[in-house]
Amino acid sequence: MSVFRLLIQGIKTTNSKGRIVLYLWITNFVFSLVIVAPFYFLLSKEFSRSLIGNKLGAGFDLLWLGDLFYKFNNIPPALIGWFLVPGILFLLLYMFLNGGIIGRIVAQRESVNFSNFFGDCGKYFLCFFRIFLISLIGYALVFGVIYRYISELFELWTDNASTEWPLIISSNIKFLILILLFSIIRMFFDYARVSVVVEDSRRAIRATILSLSFVGKRFFKAWFLYLLVGIISLIFFAVCLRISRILPSSGLLIIVVFLWHQIYILSRMWTKMLFFSSEYHFFYQEKISLY
Amino acid sequence: MKPIKISMLSLFLVVGLVLHTVESLEAQLKISVIRYEIWVELDDQRKMLYGRENISWLNTTQDEVQDMWFHLFYNAFKNERSTLLQESREELLGALGIKIEDGEWGWIDVTSIKLADGRDLRPTAEFVTRDKPVHPDDQTVMCVEFPEPVKPGEEVHLLLEFKSKIPKGILRTGYYQDSYFIAQWFPKPGVYEEGKGWNCHEYHLNSEFYADFADFTVHITVPENFVVGASGKQVGELRDSDTNAVTYTFYQDNIHDFAWTADSDFIKVERDFIAEDEISRKEYEEAARKLQLPVENIKLKDMKMILLIEPEHRSQIERHFKALKMAVKYYGLWYGPYPYETITMVDPPFRTKSGGMEYPTFFTAGTAILRSKEVLSPEGVIIHEFGHGYWYGLCANNEFEEAWLDEGINSYSTGKVAGKAYGKGALPFTFRRMPLAWFLKLPKYYDDEFDRAVAIHVVELDPITTHSWKFYNRGSYALNVYMRASTCLHTLERLVGEDTMLRILRTFQMYFRYKHPRTEDFIQVVNEVSGQDLTWFFEELFFKTLNFDYGICSLTSSEKDKHVRGFFDINGEKEEFTQEKVEKIKAEEKKSGKREIYVTEVTVRRFGEAKLGGDVLMKLRVVFEDGSEEIVNWDGQKRWEKFTFKKPAKAKFAQIDPDKIWLIDSNLSNNSLKRKSSKGGIFRLTSGILFLIQNFLQCISSFS
Repeated sequence: MSVFRLLIQGIKTTNSKGRIVLYLWITNFVFSLVIVAPFYFLLSKEFSRSLIGNKLGAGFDLLWLGDLFYKFNNIPPALIGWFLVPGILFLLLYMFLNGGIIGRIVAQRESVNFSNFFGDCGKYFLCFFRIFLISLIGYALVFGVIYRYISELFELWTDNASTEWPLIISSNIKFLILILLFSIIRMFFDYARVSVVVEDSRRAIRATILSLSFVGKRFFKAWFLYLLVGIISLIFFAVCLRISRILPSSGLLIIVVFLWHQIYILSRMWTKMLFFSSEYHFFYQEKISLY
Repeated sequence: MKPIKISMLSLFLVVGLVLHTVESLEAQLKISVIRYEIWVELDDQRKMLYGRENISWLNTTQDEVQDMWFHLFYNAFKNERSTLLQESREELLGALGIKIEDGEWGWIDVTSIKLADGRDLRPTAEFVTRDKPVHPDDQTVMCVEFPEPVKPGEEVHLLLEFKSKIPKGILRTGYYQDSYFIAQWFPKPGVYEEGKGWNCHEYHLNSEFYADFADFTVHITVPENFVVGASGKQVGELRDSDTNAVTYTFYQDNIHDFAWTADSDFIKVERDFIAEDEISRKEYEEAARKLQLPVENIKLKDMKMILLIEPEHRSQIERHFKALKMAVKYYGLWYGPYPYETITMVDPPFRTKSGGMEYPTFFTAGTAILRSKEVLSPEGVIIHEFGHGYWYGLCANNEFEEAWLDEGINSYSTGKVAGKAYGKGALPFTFRRMPLAWFLKLPKYYDDEFDRAVAIHVVELDPITTHSWKFYNRGSYALNVYMRASTCLHTLERLVGEDTMLRILRTFQMYFRYKHPRTEDFIQVVNEVSGQDLTWFFEELFFKTLNFDYGICSLTSSEKDKHVRGFFDINGEKEEFTQEKVEKIKAEEKKSGKREIYVTEVTVRRFGEAKLGGDVLMKLRVVFEDGSEEIVNWDGQKRWEKFTFKKPAKAKFAQIDPDKIWLIDSNLSNNSLKRKSSKGGIFRLTSGILFLIQNFLQCISSFS
């Protein structure tokens, strides 16, 4: 089956499981609300009775922004903690939700409901957590070793540059390499998760080895499929930026901006599902052909 | 705090400074205390300079001068014991910003120094370190003793020979590969101040300029493939076919420093600034009206603009010239005509670390290959560095001791010129060296908004007038001297009016051209031109570390208690007014159409230590729900004051400083207080933060 057909199958599956996107959005929204709540109360305390409060967020005005930084200039250290802890919790939460997402994709003929979705979440959580720990080795290898060596290679070129061009080119090539390496690592471990669910296994190391073997044999096709989905998410991002540029940010139209932002977040959830569903179809199709 | 007293004598001096005469004073005031003739040869292979220097110094003071002090600034890069590198090490920024690797050091040796009659002064030479804290091993200031003192009015002639190792690009001087930017490179005498001696500071991390006005003739010999640019006007070019070298001669009078650059890749472009083409009659008339001068007195002269640009920036030639024309035009129209024949703008050679720096008639801009037109770069830096030619160049302040007089005034005037010429510029954010403005609608801002946003953070660290090397750290230096000073000047402009401010700066510029003004001189000009004694303004905001923050701390509106409860003696009888009775009376009054009176109480506070002075009052505006408003003034001396208004409507909001004069106010949000809170803006901002957090979480989840 061609990569494009796999992609279309993935899209169909994703669309048929739209309720998952809703679950993911609610999770993200509620979690974000918890994080943003202190900001809301802080801003209310400081600005709700000031005329400057009317201007907050309405375009860029260094007068209120300057006041904001001045008032809260001691907050950044606390902010790091405030973002880090929920960030880690959210990461764990998503390890949990991944079970539900892939579980419901694999259960092609079943509809999605609250109990079977969260049932799958619980079923695979521990295994996915172990896969995550293994994936850290992969990320460390990529970011800590391979990327460092690649950077040093580029530095040999840029250290003696006579113009800025080598720096521009190397900087962007390095970034591209970083993205591609990241996509490869992520893809490997996505297939490990998919294989765990397809085979209803709980063995993380075996799944990882299986994924390496599976992807290793079909690397370019798998990667091409992965990158195609990646391109779709980039298109969504570009559209979001483009539309955001023209949306007004004053008066009641702020609701429109808010809704547009949420549509974009939904599109990110949808793309996340599409990664898994297209990978599932690829994995499943290749497995079938083996038998 | 430095006491500022305006003596009667100086007042009379400034009183005599009628603007018309100021314009004509320029010619009389040109006095060069020094004449230099320098021959310098660049050794491209060894990265060395070999130089000879003839100096003629005129003692214009009444003192008999026994010695002469020289700046030898290349020695700042000689070893880690120099004042500059020691200061750099003490800074957090030092570790990040200034690092000299092995083989990259620079130094200067004065190998010979003689009087014109041949008497050798070299044996008397010694390095001097006077600035506190002392760095005894610094070698950036050298002193030589004369065999006999130089008498008042007498001229002394010195012949020097020197050789220098050029450092690898550092602090706006040095080399990278075969590109050179050569600044602070020759032995340069300090400034002799009558009764005080030589003012000749070491090369500090934050400052490097203070010298006397001089006439320079400089012969620069370089390999023939180099394109050379320098301060002043090129007056000669001599090719030597035996050595494949070219000697360029540059001349300029009435400047106090000389820098040059050489690079084989430079593209040299010359354009004329034709005043008639650039400035319309209407623009002249408008400027003349604001300055209260005849149009003839503000006419600009034509001049030559030279650009040395790297080939990879060729596409930005027009951007460079347009910005320079704007700078020449508006600085010229507003602050006085540019007096020299040429201005040379250098796109700094790659990695020479020489971008964004000013020298007389010569400056470096700075750009990158990928630039968005929405971001005012290189425009901002071109306007700024050209502008230095006015404040540091012509009103040659002592940068070591009062850097704000240049950097602060120039930041202010850069903002005015850039705002007039281009409007707002977008934030200069880049990603992987690509301008984000290509992809995103980046916020735009005026310089004064940015200056204020950062200046309010350092108010309590150091006074603006602190000596450059005595600031708490480099950040405090930069934010105080540039941004806070600029914000204070914008505040001053709003206080005295835009036209008056223009006249203040023009008067200061024209009167102190070719002189070394001090802060006190600037204050005198402000007081004289504005017609007010604004000394307190400078005492509070420039000489102290006082936070300026006036605000409103409470606003209430309640029904006036016309009818109260309790027992009252009415016609000799005690009558009780109960709640029920009071309500009944009120209902009857309402029925008869009698309007309710509300008592509004506004409490204003002086939250900061800085306070108003002179006759200046803080305006308080209260707007009521029926659309009416009340304005009262407060002298702002006490810590707080309560104002009461009785009106047939409740207050909607109260606002202090409604005309937004006090830009330096560190907390503008407390300048107004609404009676009822509203959350529209807060929802808008919070929803934006929410969206960012949602995306942040999704990115995190990629690792799951």
